[in-house]
Amino acid sequence: MNQPHQNLEDTPRLNRRTLLATGGVALGGLLAAPWLRGVLRPRASVFIAANQRYDGSLAATIREGLLAVGAEPQGFRDKRVLLKPNMVEPTRHRPHMTTHPAVIVAAAEVFRGWGAIVTVGEAPGHVRDTEMALAESGVAAALAEANVVFADLNYEEVAWCRNRGRQSMLRGFWFPRSVAEADYIVSMPKMKTHHWMGVTASMKNLYGVLPGIQYGWPKNVLHHAGIPQTVVDINASLPSLLTIVDGIDCMEGDGPILGSLKRMGLLVMGANLPAVDATIARIMGLVPERVPYLALAVNRLGPIDESRIDERGEAWREVASPFEVLDEPHLRQLRRDALGLSVT
Amino acid sequence: MDWKRDLVERLRKSVPGGYRAAGPEASEPTALAGIALCAVGELDHAQRAGNWLAAIQSDDGSVGVSAAQPTPCWPTSLAILMWKAFGEGNNADDYQSNIQHAIAWALADRGRPNKRQPHVGHDTTLVGWSWAADTHSWIEPTAMFVLALKAVGLSQHERTREAVRLLVDRLLPAGGCNYGNTIVLGQTLLAHVQPTGLAMMGLAGEDNGDSRIAFSLDYLERKLASEPTTASLCYGLLGLAAHNRRPAEADSWLSAVYERVVSQEVSLYTLALLALATADEYPLSPDQDRALAGLSEKAWNQP
Repeated sequence: MNQPHQNLEDTPRLNRRTLLATGGVALGGLLAAPWLRGVLRPRASVFIAANQRYDGSLAATIREGLLAVGAEPQGFRDKRVLLKPNMVEPTRHRPHMTTHPAVIVAAAEVFRGWGAIVTVGEAPGHVRDTEMALAESGVAAALAEANVVFADLNYEEVAWCRNRGRQSMLRGFWFPRSVAEADYIVSMPKMKTHHWMGVTASMKNLYGVLPGIQYGWPKNVLHHAGIPQTVVDINASLPSLLTIVDGIDCMEGDGPILGSLKRMGLLVMGANLPAVDATIARIMGLVPERVPYLALAVNRLGPIDESRIDERGEAWREVASPFEVLDEPHLRQLRRDALGLSVT
Repeated sequence: MDWKRDLVERLRKSVPGGYRAAGPEASEPTALAGIALCAVGELDHAQRAGNWLAAIQSDDGSVGVSAAQPTPCWPTSLAILMWKAFGEGNNADDYQSNIQHAIAWALADRGRPNKRQPHVGHDTTLVGWSWAADTHSWIEPTAMFVLALKAVGLSQHERTREAVRLLVDRLLPAGGCNYGNTIVLGQTLLAHVQPTGLAMMGLAGEDNGDSRIAFSLDYLERKLASEPTTASLCYGLLGLAAHNRRPAEADSWLSAVYERVVSQEVSLYTLALLALATADEYPLSPDQDRALAGLSEKAWNQP
């Protein structure tokens, strides 16, 4: 018979000692109660690295970036770190849709170097054949070569977690075992436009921790409950979060699936996901305050106001380059230039 | 040992089972394995699948995704198919009560229709089946329920007919299926093998001259020649076999995949898909002439 599913409320969460050990990261927003992050730690750091290439020294950049936003390596020793790339609907003909395998492997190298137990996990949102998603994205071959374990989050046992965000009507979420048991989840999105939300980055990428076997392909339960609301709720309900955004080869136009390649050469990192996504929106020429899920996250999950975000590495204005968005009313209102604001 | 015999042997030992070799038992892999075991006459072993599914069936007739998760209930369709296949193979009425309860649940369950929207290409008012309760209808669960209802002789039921219309409506203009959308904000979505295969299975036997069906079968033939992964290969082959277009190379493709997957730990889900795609006869043919006792169209169409 099946093992009974877990209740996440009963599983151990980060204790005070762990938080102290990872104090640098906590400065970026890792507090025990995610709902209080924005209130008690109103500032956040975001690191931007420019001129990055997939065949470059990505691990060194990621290590530098994480340290710059406050990560303390000793805090990751023997911790379970789940890397969550974006593999929504991979096809080898559109590699700019999904997180590049080189970035995933480089992140694994960094966290392993800090003594963490690293797993890569994803619940592809539009395809049931996860083996296909792994093959088409190139992730299968890269993980095999790096000897990194992959967890198919679509089909794992699940644990129930109360909805700590309470922006949607959902009472809670079913999280796969690898998510429920992780000490840290590292959202590793592709920097893309999104034809409904304007931008998809670290927060929206976490839709992909929910199992299709419960939520469907697509995860229609979430859509019906409200996309902005459920993005905030999922982020508020997960264990401690970090993000490493693949902004090297990006997608503009009709993202997140059918858009065009836009080369940016960026890696963006942080421990406060709204702050990182707000910075990415600015780089793309969008107004973060008008992105529905970022507007909901303000004062709940973290800051998106520029004055509350400490820039590390490059300044966003130095790397900004407006992304094409579809000419639709709900997207037009997101553009900085449409509001008469400078885009760089 | 011949690889097909080895496959059946592994299947016998693994049922009931799950999506991972060491993972918990789940309804979809167990039902698919049961159907495959029925197809090769291994009824004693298939019965283990049937009994497992019967044991987790809820009082309302639905079958959840696992024993621990009684919802969502999309595997109810596969349980019907498995129990029906067992009854056919055994020439008996085993599980008839389970089937009747499951059908009652299936006919009452409806995907959520939406008003027509200008930026969405498909007909959002058509009702099929959804992955989770009170959400929109999508191709794969709808195709699974169409197969189940056809298997028990309800091919002409109004729910089956509407679902068939939905499957055709969701085909992409040049053939193939996305997970369920067709055109969004003016762009045609990407086709994938697995949903296309399932849609073609659901549309088998339909007298429908829509060119998108022929285009979809052509799409499957093209894609299967380019070494797809296991589930895609199996569903693609089943979709073609349902239309009597199983490629001559099918067994060699399956043999190569089998050799690869058994070199590591292999799940019941993978074994079951391979066994279904390997079957000498297409294992999910509509059986409109052999409806279960008490399952006449008339009876189920009554309010």
